[in-house]
Amino acid sequence: MSNPIRVLVAKPGLDGHDRGAKVVAQALRNAGMEVIYTGLRQTPEQIVEAALQEDVQVIGLSSLSGAHMQLFPAVVNILRQQGASDVLVVGGGVVPEEDIPYLKSAGIAEIFGPGTSTKAIADFIRQHFEGDGLTLTRVDHIGIAVNSIEASLDFYSSTLGLHCSGVEEVTDQKVKVAFLPLGESEIELLEPTTPDSPVAKFLQSRGEGIHHIAYRVPDIQSALSQLKAEGVRLLDQEPRTGAGGAMIAFLHPKASGGVLTEICQRDSE
Amino acid sequence: MDEKLASAQAAWESNLQNKVLKRFPERREKFDTESGVEVGRLYSSADLPDFSYEENLGFPGEYPFTRGVQPTMYRGRFWTMRQYAGYADAAETNARFRYLLEQGQTGLSVAFDLPTQIGLDSDHQLARGEVGRVGVAIDSLADMELLFKEIPLDKVSTSMTINAPAAVLLAMYIAVAEKQGADTKKLAGTIQNDILKEYVARGTYIFPPEPSMRLITDTFAYCAENLPEWNPISISGYHIREAGSTAVQEMAFTLADGIAYVQAAIDKGLDVDKFAPRLSFFFNAHKNFFEEIAKYRAVRRMWAKIMRARFGAKNPKSWMLRFHTQTGGSTLTAQQPDVNVVRVAFQALSAVLGGTQSLHTNSKDEALALPTEDSARLALRTQQVIAYETGVADTIDPLAGSYLVEKLTDELEAAAWEYISKIDEMGGAVRAVEAGYMQREIQDSAFRYQQEIENETRIVVGVNKFQMAEEHHEGLLRVDPNIAEKQVARLQRVRATRDNKAVNGALVKLRSEALNGSNVVPCILDAVRAYATLGEICGVLRDVYGEYKPTSTL
Repeated sequence: MSNPIRVLVAKPGLDGHDRGAKVVAQALRNAGMEVIYTGLRQTPEQIVEAALQEDVQVIGLSSLSGAHMQLFPAVVNILRQQGASDVLVVGGGVVPEEDIPYLKSAGIAEIFGPGTSTKAIADFIRQHFEGDGLTLTRVDHIGIAVNSIEASLDFYSSTLGLHCSGVEEVTDQKVKVAFLPLGESEIELLEPTTPDSPVAKFLQSRGEGIHHIAYRVPDIQSALSQLKAEGVRLLDQEPRTGAGGAMIAFLHPKASGGVLTEICQRDSE
Repeated sequence: MDEKLASAQAAWESNLQNKVLKRFPERREKFDTESGVEVGRLYSSADLPDFSYEENLGFPGEYPFTRGVQPTMYRGRFWTMRQYAGYADAAETNARFRYLLEQGQTGLSVAFDLPTQIGLDSDHQLARGEVGRVGVAIDSLADMELLFKEIPLDKVSTSMTINAPAAVLLAMYIAVAEKQGADTKKLAGTIQNDILKEYVARGTYIFPPEPSMRLITDTFAYCAENLPEWNPISISGYHIREAGSTAVQEMAFTLADGIAYVQAAIDKGLDVDKFAPRLSFFFNAHKNFFEEIAKYRAVRRMWAKIMRARFGAKNPKSWMLRFHTQTGGSTLTAQQPDVNVVRVAFQALSAVLGGTQSLHTNSKDEALALPTEDSARLALRTQQVIAYETGVADTIDPLAGSYLVEKLTDELEAAAWEYISKIDEMGGAVRAVEAGYMQREIQDSAFRYQQEIENETRIVVGVNKFQMAEEHHEGLLRVDPNIAEKQVARLQRVRATRDNKAVNGALVKLRSEALNGSNVVPCILDAVRAYATLGEICGVLRDVYGEYKPTSTL
């Protein structure tokens, strides 16, 4: 488990209505976050100072007095000046819809108006930090372990009608790979080149069959850090070069329900 | 008690339990009010075994005032229709006031901006972004003159929502009346002047409790002497309710605050029957229709008992709880705002059936912005329909004798007494506020209320049921963004053109009077007449009294 998200709930300006701020603070706390409430009458400077001191990742601003157009952007600007622009700033209160585009362009990530459920606010914050999972763009390829590429091509080419676009030997995996493109994905046939190759071991224990599924990601480095942050078990801590010059990394099959899962990034993208 | 009826009712209930409910279950297992008072399936006289007309109700205008404080109630005169208004600067608000009076409004109610409510001039650093936003900006007598231009102050009654600096704004009002040549003895109106609920719920405090209470008793004494028609306080449950309290908490905390003010004035040597007749109250008209009606009736009966038994007041006017009502701002929704018109109508009706002396009906757009002229007019029309078309005002206290309403009135009263004794045990309202007791109770109720909406045990039409895709709401009121600049320029002109020597003299005098503990209202009036600004006057008092540091309750 990662550390709880730390949130500063703040009342900028002179507005004394803090029912909403307190209800949200309590709800975020119940949702497992650590919440600090500033109390009333805070200047944007005081709010940023408190945020830095408390080392929060989120600032929630509440104003019902109409001063949001000046005070919310002021908080974001001071954060930037202090080099803390990674702090997520959200706001709520009596904010007319027509003010929202300006506030968003000024760096307030979201405005929660009257009637918003506290769950929606908690979900928004959580998703910002935990994400919606990885960004996958397609199934890159399906790897199939075979004893002999030549023998298997009889089925894949002659029967299924797939076209083999090339064969490549990946020495550090001790495997020979045949590529059979289909749509925006490919089938890869994997034939071990030595008896101690991982694919050889797979064939010994399970026989021929689907070996792994590979998903394309736009940025393998950030995908790996995201997986690490969420504590997902990995076979490859760092990306390495796979067949076709792609950058690849494998997840541990225990993390993916027994299906060996690969993520890969191709420069063409 | 009618035993035959009781046993017949019990038989009916058991028949229901055994036969009907199995096939036709009710919508819910348990029904209750917003305060958690359980509402029964059916009420009859069997539910009121100890009911005595004389003791519980009495007659209108007579102790214990359950049926109303005036002998003829609305048959004589409707309640005062008083719409709270104010934004931008004094000139714009003056135009809105005159519009509302032309439309048939019968009293004024001034909304001040937050810097004014916190005793800061418009050019103070903390006023950034707040000038003219939630009300009108008033820095000096010059603004106040503009605010009431061409409105004769001896002919209209004016309520001012001002608390920590109430004495200063009252002084400005008196000074404007003097300039108009009005007889100040005839000035009628109210300053809110209720600091305890600011600590609890509304947040526009300046000074700590002790000197704040002194300022309040100073205004009581000054008004008793000089402004016989003026209400020097409006003890407010409204904001307690808006902060999330239940109806019972609203009643109990308001009355506990009232007890604290009366005690403070008595401790200062004032005669209870001299100031108590001019104490006024302010309540919220919330959603649960019958509970709200019962609330007003119960709170009237309780105050009569408090004043007579606890404080030994002899003047029947001291026993009367006269109150203003505003419909519940927090019940308005940003979703499908037209529906708010309907909510407001029901809430306003409950206040009228509960015997309010004056009423503000909210505008439909207030969950989104300050009201436009059109929506403020529609809100006023809503109470005019209740007054002139429904006939509910033609007889006094029409729901008296309803088994449900009388039962609820009794139950709310009993629950509120429990809170009041708890607060008494803590040493009174001031101590309870300092300990954060009321704040925490309200906070818990507010959170529970929100949870009920989110788990859909409480339905809000358009919010968690009957939602629909909506267009952006057009035509909201926008306060001129340059208002702060204009206001600051006027403030600087005042500072440059007044007699600064006279101002300094008045401020020095104020400081010494504040230090030696004498009544500061006359010195404040002198300072105001010399065009000392609100910020300057409150600055002197801040120096002498210090500033309030809130108790954290979260």
